[in-house]
Amino acid sequence: MARTPIDLLQGTLDVLILKSLSWGPRHGHAVARLIRASSEGAFEVLDGSLYAALHRMEERGWVEAEWGLSDKGKRAKFYQLTPLGRQQLKNETASWQRYSVAVAKLLTATVQP
Amino acid sequence: MLNRLFSEIRFRVRALFRRDRLEQELDTELSFHLQKEAEKHMATGVSPEEARRRARAAFGAVQGTKDDARDARGISLIDSLAQDLKYALRGLRKRPAFTMGVVLTLGLGIGANAAMFGIVDRLLFRPPLGLKDPETAHRVFQHGRTQDRRPRVLRNFAFRRYLDLQRTTRSFESFAAFQTRTLALGEGSDTHEAKVTLASASYFQFFDVRPALGRFYGPAEDSVPAGSPVVVLGHDYWQARYGGRSDIIGQQLRIDRGTFTIIGVAPNGFVGAGDQGVPAAFVPITAYAHAARGPGYPALHTWTWMEMLARRKPEISEAAANQDLTSAFLASWRETIAANPNWGKLEDMGIRGELAPMLLARGPHAGRDAKVATWVLGVAAIVLLIACANVANLFLSRAFARRREFAMRLALGVTRARLARQLLTESLVLALIGGAVGLVIAQWGAAALRAAFLDAAASAVIVDPRTLLFTALAVMVTALLTGIVPALQTGRGNLNLTLKGGANEGPHRSRARPLLLVFQATLSVVLLIGAGLFVRSLSHVKNYRLGYDVAPVLYASANPRGYRPSEAEQRSLAEAMLETAKRIPGVQYATLTISVPFWSNEGTGLWVPGIDSVTRRGNFLFNTGSPDYFKTLGTRILKGRAFDERDRAGAAPVLVVGERMAEALWPGQDALSKCVRIGADTAPCSQVIGVAEEMRLRSLTGEREYSFFVPSAQHTAPPVPEIFVRVTGDPERLIEPLRRELQKLMPGPAYVNVVPLSELVDPSLKAWKFGTTMFVAFGGLALLLAAIGLYSMIAYDVTQRTRELGVRIALGSSVSRVLGLIVSSGLRLVGAGVVLGVLLALWGAKWMEGLLFQQTPRDPVIYGVVAGILLLVAVVAAVLPALRATRIDPNSALRLDG
Repeated sequence: MARTPIDLLQGTLDVLILKSLSWGPRHGHAVARLIRASSEGAFEVLDGSLYAALHRMEERGWVEAEWGLSDKGKRAKFYQLTPLGRQQLKNETASWQRYSVAVAKLLTATVQP
Repeated sequence: MLNRLFSEIRFRVRALFRRDRLEQELDTELSFHLQKEAEKHMATGVSPEEARRRARAAFGAVQGTKDDARDARGISLIDSLAQDLKYALRGLRKRPAFTMGVVLTLGLGIGANAAMFGIVDRLLFRPPLGLKDPETAHRVFQHGRTQDRRPRVLRNFAFRRYLDLQRTTRSFESFAAFQTRTLALGEGSDTHEAKVTLASASYFQFFDVRPALGRFYGPAEDSVPAGSPVVVLGHDYWQARYGGRSDIIGQQLRIDRGTFTIIGVAPNGFVGAGDQGVPAAFVPITAYAHAARGPGYPALHTWTWMEMLARRKPEISEAAANQDLTSAFLASWRETIAANPNWGKLEDMGIRGELAPMLLARGPHAGRDAKVATWVLGVAAIVLLIACANVANLFLSRAFARRREFAMRLALGVTRARLARQLLTESLVLALIGGAVGLVIAQWGAAALRAAFLDAAASAVIVDPRTLLFTALAVMVTALLTGIVPALQTGRGNLNLTLKGGANEGPHRSRARPLLLVFQATLSVVLLIGAGLFVRSLSHVKNYRLGYDVAPVLYASANPRGYRPSEAEQRSLAEAMLETAKRIPGVQYATLTISVPFWSNEGTGLWVPGIDSVTRRGNFLFNTGSPDYFKTLGTRILKGRAFDERDRAGAAPVLVVGERMAEALWPGQDALSKCVRIGADTAPCSQVIGVAEEMRLRSLTGEREYSFFVPSAQHTAPPVPEIFVRVTGDPERLIEPLRRELQKLMPGPAYVNVVPLSELVDPSLKAWKFGTTMFVAFGGLALLLAAIGLYSMIAYDVTQRTRELGVRIALGSSVSRVLGLIVSSGLRLVGAGVVLGVLLALWGAKWMEGLLFQQTPRDPVIYGVVAGILLLVAVVAAVLPALRATRIDPNSALRLDG
């Protein structure tokens, strides 16, 4: 856990949230935990912006929210992907992969083309 | 696209209504998150408080998140506006004095503008009521040159010109001829004078109006030459004289010399294209002309009496139409010159037509009123600017006082943009309330303006949609101007410093405020100089000796109304009027006359032995009077004598000359006994028997005007007997008795009209007085606003420096030194404003020149006085609070905090 958190690139947060929700419905705090854990602490999501993003995605119809009870019986808002959100995740993942491959290629090149 | 828009709107509206519930859910959701986060920290063994703190820190600013979340939910725009509004209103309620001050200041500024806009709009921008398609409707003017080659523009034409233009042009759909005259209406003792518009049938087609009753007349009733004796009544006249009854159609009404049948009533407020208010009646122009001049009038070249309107075909450009008009004028004038070869050569006359807008004030015959009104609107705008500067300044001071509050909110995560928006909302709310107050002020003050500027008859609602729109614009500009500077200044600087510092510390003197102060002082100086110049100008007009008294003089004229008395009858009628008038109690003197100052003048040829072409030297105005002429008018005889009983018909002809005429014709000589031939160079010598004080008969400024006076008895009787009567006491009281007595003498249909001389003379002084009243009113307003502004700004600064002053005094600085320090810093700023203002006024002076009477626009006295007043205000504004500050115990000053 000694890694320094890196700033999220603009537009990255959405796809990370979508991915976290693809494992099933969960509340905001769980999403934040998941992102932190699965990036091994590299991504420090400022929790405030997480909620802004969740609400924005709710507005766009990518996620649906429902009030439920947490494992400790507290009222919590659970988010879950809609078909539209799943489609969005697919698109974003594809374009991310293309993007990262291209950037990696460029940055790891050893000879000038 | 549209779908998205709808769903967007639905979302926002729903969000707005579900606001409270959503708000609650947001709270629950966030607190759940924080709690989970805190639990996680507590699991690692941290104390509960520390855990909560860490959770909060990781979260970022709670307030900001709420805003972000709200933004995401889409309610932010409407909702936060409502929130800003609520917040602004609460803040304003909490500071009633501040709010009142701002609202009043803005109200005065906006009100002044709304009122002036109403006037200028009507004078310059708004087409006459009901005018169809103003773009293609024109008033016809004709440019030309006088015989001595001076350019002139005419808008009165002979009827034949109207016929010619209709016949020879191709660019116009129609022409209309009209003229508004004061004519006698009714019969016998009921006879009264009123404005009557003589108009061609086509005149009504220029307007999109329907008669309130009956119908307008058509082309058949306006046929050349005689037309039909029909009349359409004006709405007001119908109400006043006939009580608005509808059974008047078909009734007869005597107008001037004819009897007309009433066929309709014009709609309420219908003025037409005239500039003399709502006419009492409209009659076919041909019917009037035929009755007045007989069947030969369409051929007359010399009777130039009516104005013309033209409706351009929409597909023809204005330039092309102007060309067409010019060639038609030339063709028409060719005939005129052929019939009157001694009028000069057509080529020398420089004739050219001009299609001008319908509004006189926008054409070549624009009066001083329009110019003055535009100036005054500019002045009103400056007043508003000063008011804005005041308010912006108050905001700045307040923003400064609230900077800890702002810093706190910024620290809590409110964005700067949001804070600025809140400040703007506040200024908008104030500007809106100010605008409402302004409209009330405008409505209330505009009645006075209107009476001064527009014809009383033309008045309608003052606050109409156009004025409202203008006011709304003024409000927006005001809100921006007052709110933008404080909004830009919010949260500048180091938050920590601000939060830690006391209320009286920190970098409190922003650069904006001194600039505002200079700006305000500059504008005030310009306005006050303008006001000062106009005041002096008016006092010149008021104190200007016209060469006769106006107030105690009544003017009575007998109108023969078609009755043609012989010359002997005329003389005896005139004598009888004079004798009757003198017998009425309260009448001091009475005299015959043929001219009325500023109303009607006569000119005549003049030959003086030893001087070539006298008439080239100027305009020699010819007047006649009976022996009491000069006594009646109160004109002093400077040399020699006035005429008396000796100067009968057949006795040696004599004349009295005006002072300046004597000086102009016989400089350095005695004018008495000089010989003047009047009317023809073969006329017998008239001997100068006296020199009278100079009389201003046509204009206040005309330098080339001279006057001379001949005994009535030695001159042919005028066609209409006219007399001046000098009364003691209130002249109004004597009008009716005089009219009644004189009316008894009238033969046949003739009638008598009596008016105070002031009614005829005052209109020519109106524009002078008007400009002054307005400039003084606005100048006073500006001074008041500027004084308040300067005072509050300087005084506030001083209060802010109380602590610093306390330190200085504690360190041994003397009270007078501290006072000097404060006064000089205030004076420096105001002084800069004064210098700028004076320079600006000097630069603008050239445009003022024409509006002032015998007053240079660069009068050093006025400039000096204005500069003095402003500096004095600055000193007072600095000294009073400074004195208070120096009296504070240094100890308590040092401890002073928030």
